[in-house]
Amino acid sequence: MEYKNVLTTCVYCGCGCGVYFEVLDGEIVGTLPVKEHPISRGSLCIKGWNVPAFVNHPERLKTPLIRREDGLGVATWDEALGLIAEKLGAIRDESGPDSVGFLASAKCTNEENYLLQKLSRAVVKTNNVDHCARL
Amino acid sequence: MTESFEPRIVAFLCNWCSYAGADNAGVARMPSPANILPIRVMCSGRVSPEMILRAFRGGADGVLVLGCHIGDCHYISGNHRTVKRVPLVRNLLGYVGINPDRLRLDWVSSAEAPKFAKVTAEFVEKVRELGPIAEEMAA
Amino acid sequence: MTENTIKELRAHVAEKLKELDGVVALRRTTEGTAPHLFQDGDDLAQLVMEPRYPLASVVSLLQKRFPKARFGIVARGCDSRALVEMAKREQIDPDRLYLLGVACTAGEAQECYCADPAPDTEQWPAAEVIGEPVEGAPPNPMVAEYEQMSLEERRAFWRQQFLKCIKCYGCRDICPECFCEACSLEDPLWVERGVLAPDFPMFHLIRAMHMASRCVACRQCELTCPAHIPLTVLYDLLRQDVGKILGYDPGADLEVAPPISLSLEDAPIKAKIV
Repeated sequence: MEYKNVLTTCVYCGCGCGVYFEVLDGEIVGTLPVKEHPISRGSLCIKGWNVPAFVNHPERLKTPLIRREDGLGVATWDEALGLIAEKLGAIRDESGPDSVGFLASAKCTNEENYLLQKLSRAVVKTNNVDHCARL
Repeated sequence: MTESFEPRIVAFLCNWCSYAGADNAGVARMPSPANILPIRVMCSGRVSPEMILRAFRGGADGVLVLGCHIGDCHYISGNHRTVKRVPLVRNLLGYVGINPDRLRLDWVSSAEAPKFAKVTAEFVEKVRELGPIAEEMAA
Repeated sequence: MTENTIKELRAHVAEKLKELDGVVALRRTTEGTAPHLFQDGDDLAQLVMEPRYPLASVVSLLQKRFPKARFGIVARGCDSRALVEMAKREQIDPDRLYLLGVACTAGEAQECYCADPAPDTEQWPAAEVIGEPVEGAPPNPMVAEYEQMSLEERRAFWRQQFLKCIKCYGCRDICPECFCEACSLEDPLWVERGVLAPDFPMFHLIRAMHMASRCVACRQCELTCPAHIPLTVLYDLLRQDVGKILGYDPGADLEVAPPISLSLEDAPIKAKIV
């Protein structure tokens, strides 16, 4: 019988609001705002209030998946990354670097987004880098 | 104003009393204003605040809720809820700047066709005086 | 809360933990302060009273998950009132609850314009109060000011306020009385999806009507609203009306059933307001 609130940060946007996950015997059962948080000060937007919705969602991706002839199938990280490198490389070689675009995300950290644009500019050699919010 | 404003009134009428009363008014050829859009509900107690607000949101200049007299409700105490709920909605409308007189609750039995004609005519005139709801709803 | 009150509170909680399955109260750690279920053996130096969270909802959750357990709750006046209204609606079992009441200070009562800054122990089969209960604070002056406004002024006021709403549903999510599984505010028939700010007057007036005879003035809704909409002004006005028309004071008496859905014989109208 354990009830506690676990402090975390909302993943959905760059604000980084504080969120408490109400955890009852190891299971997330609700959210509460963090009243003492210097940024969010006890408020949340609708996405923040519903952050845990994806944690135990039945459709949540838990492994890489590759679409093969018989549909989506489980793959290892090596298989998946290998396939992506192969295909992106082929498109770049065939149609030029600017035929590939990269979309960064507020759900990623600044560091992850930095790496993405490095991949875009230094490896694929295109400036086509933008943000998912612009979709 | 060159054109006279014709109010659009949504009237929630309970099946057993006021709707029958309205029907009788029609059968007896009593003149009732054409501004009324009747909505038949089984009991005036069924009329929720959501329904009333939605009617205003939808453009009704006035909302009329007519039910059986207290003590005559087909479901015994359905209209008891109405008589408690509607004054609260009226006051709430007033608190946000919508004239509470745009919502009226009255009791009309199936035998009171003349009362139906009278209440509806009175209400239409009242709402005509108040003007179109659009002015009070404008964001 | 004074230091002494908190110390006394912790001692009482320690005592009670020997016989209860747990006590719901705020816990402060290096990460922050949040509701927690203290159990026998926990470090009670971590038990604090601020910032205020709606603890009543936590107790309800725990009672439902553990139907045989007996919990305690460290409750301010607002928590107790919230629990009373929840108990009337089968969300709380008063017989499995120990109310460890704490009286708010005059300063705290003033901050919340609270009329009942200490729990009424007579409502509960098992309860106590720590600290000296103080007089209720006068109501929010904004309400009286508002009542003086004309229809046009009120319209302008709320137009400006409601336009700020980002439909976060925070007011609903944090309210201890909002426990409906199917919420009207999520029904596209009443509140259109994908429209910001929500169409006037649907969202806010529906919520206000649903709060009639439920709202106990805990003020959590207003505290959590990211747009700082003075929701309690509207809910306070409606609560006054419920008091005048139906003679009902939410949170005051566990024995008095909520009047709106009862017949006139069971819950008569006390005064007609034209």
